[in-house]
Amino acid sequence: MSSETIPQVAPEVLAVHEQMKRRQRIRRGLTYVLASLICLWITVPIFFIFSMAFTTQETVRSYPKGFLPFIPFSTETMTFFLNSDGIFEGVINSITVAVITLVLSTIIAAPAGYAISRYIFPGRNFFRLSILAVRAFPIVVLSIPMAVMFIQLGFFDSVYSLSLMHTALTLPTTVLVIASVFASIPYELEEAAQVFGCTPFQAFRTVVLPLVMPGIAASAIFTFVMSWNEVFAASILTIQNRTLPAQVLFALGNSSEAYQFAGGFFLLIPSLIFMFFIRKYLFNMWGQVSK
Amino acid sequence: MQTKRNWVPYLLILPTFIYLILFFAYPMVRGLNLAFFDDEANLALHAEASSDAAIADLIPQSASIEILGRQGNLVAEEVLDENNLLTEIWFTIEAPDVDGNTVTGWASESRIRVREEAEDGTPIMGTVRRRLGSNADPLTSVYAEPNENSDVIGQLEARTEVQIVELATLEVWFLLKGENNGTPVEGWAPSRYIQIFDDEITGRVDRGNSGEFTTKFVEKMVNDRFFWPAMRYTAILLLLIIPTQFVLAIVMALVIQAQLRFNSFILYIFAIPLGVSDLAVGILWFAIFTQNGLLNSFLQTVGFIESPSSWLTADSRNWILVAIWLAEVWRATSIVMVIVVSGLQAISSEVLEAAEVFGANMWQRLRYIILPLLRPSLQVALILRTILAFQVFAVVIALSGGDVVTVLANETYRQYFDLRNSNVAAAYALLILVISMFTAVIYLRAIRTQEEASAT
Repeated sequence: MSSETIPQVAPEVLAVHEQMKRRQRIRRGLTYVLASLICLWITVPIFFIFSMAFTTQETVRSYPKGFLPFIPFSTETMTFFLNSDGIFEGVINSITVAVITLVLSTIIAAPAGYAISRYIFPGRNFFRLSILAVRAFPIVVLSIPMAVMFIQLGFFDSVYSLSLMHTALTLPTTVLVIASVFASIPYELEEAAQVFGCTPFQAFRTVVLPLVMPGIAASAIFTFVMSWNEVFAASILTIQNRTLPAQVLFALGNSSEAYQFAGGFFLLIPSLIFMFFIRKYLFNMWGQVSK
Repeated sequence: MQTKRNWVPYLLILPTFIYLILFFAYPMVRGLNLAFFDDEANLALHAEASSDAAIADLIPQSASIEILGRQGNLVAEEVLDENNLLTEIWFTIEAPDVDGNTVTGWASESRIRVREEAEDGTPIMGTVRRRLGSNADPLTSVYAEPNENSDVIGQLEARTEVQIVELATLEVWFLLKGENNGTPVEGWAPSRYIQIFDDEITGRVDRGNSGEFTTKFVEKMVNDRFFWPAMRYTAILLLLIIPTQFVLAIVMALVIQAQLRFNSFILYIFAIPLGVSDLAVGILWFAIFTQNGLLNSFLQTVGFIESPSSWLTADSRNWILVAIWLAEVWRATSIVMVIVVSGLQAISSEVLEAAEVFGANMWQRLRYIILPLLRPSLQVALILRTILAFQVFAVVIALSGGDVVTVLANETYRQYFDLRNSNVAAAYALLILVISMFTAVIYLRAIRTQEEASAT
């Protein structure tokens, strides 16, 4: 915008306008500085752990390390970590648990999410509220009785019992997220399809499903990340079949820094990848959830 | 929205509902049970040596007892491998008695020497053992039932050949005498609950089989040497983390709302910590604060310090707290930011523009317009964050080893995992639950009073 777009204005007004624009520019500049500072606050630790995970073990032990970009690159630390006892099995277990959890919780939650967003029925509010209450519950509170229960059932220390536990933790979030995804698709679309001769199921499959798929995929990815990250229940419920975080936590006290740093970065990877894909859905997901 | 009343929505929510009952409501009840109910508090003493007999008395776990008598009793197969279980084997035998009549009845394995076995090892024939000792009864009794207190149906001479028809494994039951709160009690109990001392006539109740309400697990928790430190550090961390987090989250949300040029990229960076586990964050900040970590390297290169200082040792508790604080702020601010951004998106830009036209500066707009309108979102975020703050666990272990600075969740883990005491662990878990619910209620109360105050 230049001053030509607002003709026949007194010079004083123009001056005020200019001043406002200048102030706005300064503020914008400051916001950029602020944004960069916060980005640094988040990325510098990640970059440091990355450089520690991909360097020689000697560098990890050395001191002082100097400034960041000059740390020599090598896959030695990461290779050492990945070849340590129980890590490969841990990765496999973690992925198995996370996949079962995401499949189970999506399958169970999707119908409930659809019901909440599409129907008004007696008990709907109670259901919503109890889901919210469950979501706010600490994992710690549930893990101990669950562990005791699984031991009594002889169903302990298996990726399947851990998946059941993780599903209980992720289910409420998934229900609310999927409900918000369905709520963003107008019901009129479904109705229109039915007017044009679709059965309710056909209308759902051909009209609604393609529209909600990206949102549901985002929620599934988030479920995966939640399960991958979960440490407390995993270390309580598994002994032999530890997931990766449980294995790293268990080895934490008596392992080298090279192992710890490489492990720390390895645990971070899914977040670095998946957050890129689901960042746009975050507000949909959590915005709705918090209401 | 469909308002027609039908059963479809109920059918759709049914799986979720069932799942939550199974894996949420039931464990909650079980948790209460674990924390307040001692399953093994008392041992039931039966009037007769049979689990069907009436329960005469209860005797508390670990009471000392005196053994008055013993008797075998048929035992279920699933308890056979339990600790302390004493068994004896009895045979159904068929043999001529002293009078020459053939009797069929029960005799203890200890009285019969097996002479012949079937291919699978089942004894089929044997002879009656001789009783040793000068004044011992030379005859061996055959009983109507597999125990020595039942009717004698015949007497066998030593060395009589007997056919072994059948064999039964019996659990030994003891008739025992002890005290319950000063009152003497007496009755029969199975051997698997009892530990017998070497003299074979005294022992103690190893575990009970009849539960009772107890506060001993809660007492044990409160008297644990880590309990009060855990409470204190949990509270300190809560007070440090939450305000910082909210200020930072609001700043981050305003940056996102400013729609800078690389907004999408900035959002990606801001969102990364949302998906990072607390263990990874603990290790991340451990890498910074450890002796030869980033912080010391940086300070030394710049010239602030001469030699590496140690931040994470027992002598520098406060620095451990600072490290945990920074780690938690780093990790969990993103979720608050996301909630605040969705709150901000709901504020119409016209309101803000109007304020700007009337000359409100940035701070005034924040203080008088944005924050009040954000209040519902902030409430949700506050409650969520407070409850989640009680779960801080792996960060603490990674940064302090779990001993120097400890929190409630960490104590739950220690009780369960290291000390194998699931009852005390359940008590800790319940405490966390109660505290988080209590805090949530206090917040809601405070918010409501505020609203009432502003309404009048």
